[in-house]
Amino acid sequence: MHYVIIGNGIAGASAAFEIRKRHRSKNIRITLISDESDYFFSRTALMYAYMDRLSREDLEPYERKVYDRQAIERIRDRVVDLDANAQFLQLASGDTLNYDRLLIATGAKPRQAAFQLSGNQPEGIVNFVSLQDLDECERLTWSTQQAVVIGGGLIGIELVESLLHHKIDVTFLVREPYFWPMSLHAEEGELISEHIRSHGVDLRHNEQITQLATDANGRISAVSTDQNNQFSCQMLGICIGVQANIDWLKNVQTPPEISRGLLVNRSFQTSLPNVFAAGDCTEITLDSGKTLLETIWYSAKLHGELAARAMMGDTIHYRPPIFYNSSKFFDVEYTTVGDVIDVPAHARALYRKAPGKLITQRITYTDDQVIGFNMLGSRWDHTVLQRWIAERRSIDFVRQHLHEAQFDVEFGRAKLHSMDEIEVEL
Amino acid sequence: MRQKGTLGWLKHDITNRGVTAWLLTIFLLAFYLFLYYGGRQFGSFYVPDVFTAVANLLFLPDKWKLYGLIYTLAVTFGGIHVIRKYRHNNYQIIRTLVVIFVQATFAFSIPWILTLFEQPEYYFSYLWPLEISYFYPQNILYMPLPFILYSLLGALLMVPVLGFFFGKRWYCSWVCGCGGLANTAGEPFRHLTSKSSAAWKFEKWAIHITLGFALFTTALVVASYGVTSYGQGDYAKFAETAASVQSLYGFIVVTMLSGIIGVVLYPIGGTRTWCRNFCPMAAMLGLIQKFGRFRIRVKKDMCISCGLCTKYCEMGIDVRAYAQKNQDFTRASCVGCGICAEVCPRGVLRLENVWRKDPQELTMQGLLDQTYKA
Repeated sequence: MHYVIIGNGIAGASAAFEIRKRHRSKNIRITLISDESDYFFSRTALMYAYMDRLSREDLEPYERKVYDRQAIERIRDRVVDLDANAQFLQLASGDTLNYDRLLIATGAKPRQAAFQLSGNQPEGIVNFVSLQDLDECERLTWSTQQAVVIGGGLIGIELVESLLHHKIDVTFLVREPYFWPMSLHAEEGELISEHIRSHGVDLRHNEQITQLATDANGRISAVSTDQNNQFSCQMLGICIGVQANIDWLKNVQTPPEISRGLLVNRSFQTSLPNVFAAGDCTEITLDSGKTLLETIWYSAKLHGELAARAMMGDTIHYRPPIFYNSSKFFDVEYTTVGDVIDVPAHARALYRKAPGKLITQRITYTDDQVIGFNMLGSRWDHTVLQRWIAERRSIDFVRQHLHEAQFDVEFGRAKLHSMDEIEVEL
Repeated sequence: MRQKGTLGWLKHDITNRGVTAWLLTIFLLAFYLFLYYGGRQFGSFYVPDVFTAVANLLFLPDKWKLYGLIYTLAVTFGGIHVIRKYRHNNYQIIRTLVVIFVQATFAFSIPWILTLFEQPEYYFSYLWPLEISYFYPQNILYMPLPFILYSLLGALLMVPVLGFFFGKRWYCSWVCGCGGLANTAGEPFRHLTSKSSAAWKFEKWAIHITLGFALFTTALVVASYGVTSYGQGDYAKFAETAASVQSLYGFIVVTMLSGIIGVVLYPIGGTRTWCRNFCPMAAMLGLIQKFGRFRIRVKKDMCISCGLCTKYCEMGIDVRAYAQKNQDFTRASCVGCGICAEVCPRGVLRLENVWRKDPQELTMQGLLDQTYKA
């Protein structure tokens, strides 16, 4: 039996280790293919490598010897063709590979901005998603005094923070009226915007790039915006989201069904026999017929483990857990659980804010139960918050027991009783 | 000292084992050699007594007071830097304030003040077996009764009881001067501690051998104290052996390992070389900690495997290995400085004192098979 996994990100690597956990025999072959890196690394930590807080090798969660010890074969190459009938892969180097079960975990790639599609690609335009992006950023940093970053999401703010660390003047262009409306309400979004500005970032909302200017060497030199501003820059970061990395599957011998992502059922099976998929590249069809694209670390890790079990013959019916995610905006930690933005029409929210501090809590609820949490500036045990949603607890119960979910450091517990509290309609 | 345009230029030379780091290590080594051996003659080579000269200039009674002053200043200014750096984290602020306070009082001014009142120069912040001489009868028995009682009860009662309730952190990262310097002036170098499995194996052997050596030396010195008073013949020989073991321990452990190596290696080996590998007090507290209430709790399924916790662990613990496996843990070496919880960008870790005992799945072998970095 030969398990082949395309992509050694968190989904692919989790799947490989999950298979090896059950099948200790070396006769069961496991092969990880990646053209990005020799070893699985933590993509979420890219910014810390850029900021000189971690080395490249520190990014690797598993010791390099582990792959030999666990008999996980690694191939540094790109898959260019897939024949599901012959169970065969063609690699860019000319090598070929046969598999018994295939897992596609090719993740996501950066979305391109409209002005990039014209074919105009001056030097200095960067993404911040892959190891190669990190190399490129580091290469350009020393010759950069000013940079522009577009896109008001997680990767954008990470890139801004990293550039700032290297004493680069950053203009941060965000199309939306406040930071990250996809996950934050206006109050919190504006607090975060303010926080970003307090670090010396020239953050501008409601503003988009219309034109690029380049210097004599073909390096970006300035951008013009729809607000008739011009910002000179030697680096331009494009952080306007990611999309499933599946274009390469369109022209293979046996293309699987794709839509916005690679379509899989709840057992992570694609439309091709013995071909599975997991992580950010997938679009999961639920029983309701609706499809689901999850593009966060935690879901990819879970997909990888479950897809591995499905490949080994287990019956898997994926049901997305109650949503949770976490992040950090400069110094402000963020925890979210459940539904906060996408809520029923009659939902309400309790919004709490510590006077004079960037600590907020937003608890969304309907008539009979709490449905979501958005917490900024202090630490929370998301498992407790998840449990309250699962147990359909009332807002009164949650308000009374909120301290039980706190996870702050000793002596550092956020003072819940001294917060301002308002009820808001959503 | 960053070289623009060269590969890896983003790194700081001095905190990444560069040339400047080695120069600093050489400087520290020279500092300690002059401190310990100044004014001594080695063959034809005379070591100038720089420290005594400077101490005289500053009207300090001797060079050790000067060293105490330098040490206290290093802890204070390093501590102010640490408090500024972690100003949003109350655990770090309070802990660092306590470290500075203990250094300035118990480890510097109080012993000095005691001598002014013709009392022994006694350091309340150091206990046996770290300060092994506080169990040597010839030292302690000539002190007033409260000092004798504090030496005995402090080491045999207070240390284990507090260790059981709060882990070894109450001592190693709140009180002790070695840990105090590491966590203040040493802060920029904390990430250099080796995370390799070889370093872990070495630590396990080295620290317990040193503890054994300390126990053995103490026993020998105590026993020989009785015989030097009353014995003759073979007993005198035994007392001589005991005295030579005592001075061997003094040279290897007290002077070399804790006095010199511990600090000299900051810029290239990280801050806790002495604490992690040799300190007999840390070894004892570590064993108590394993059975006590202290542990690091891991928030389930929240780790993003970034590795900051592992990188910034000054004791070389691969914290990430536990965090990404959702495994609460108590490691004997953990000094509870709380930096792993501080640097975690997702708030996954928390230091706790609780009764609940979770099975700790990840043994050394378990880690080696899975995640341990080499």
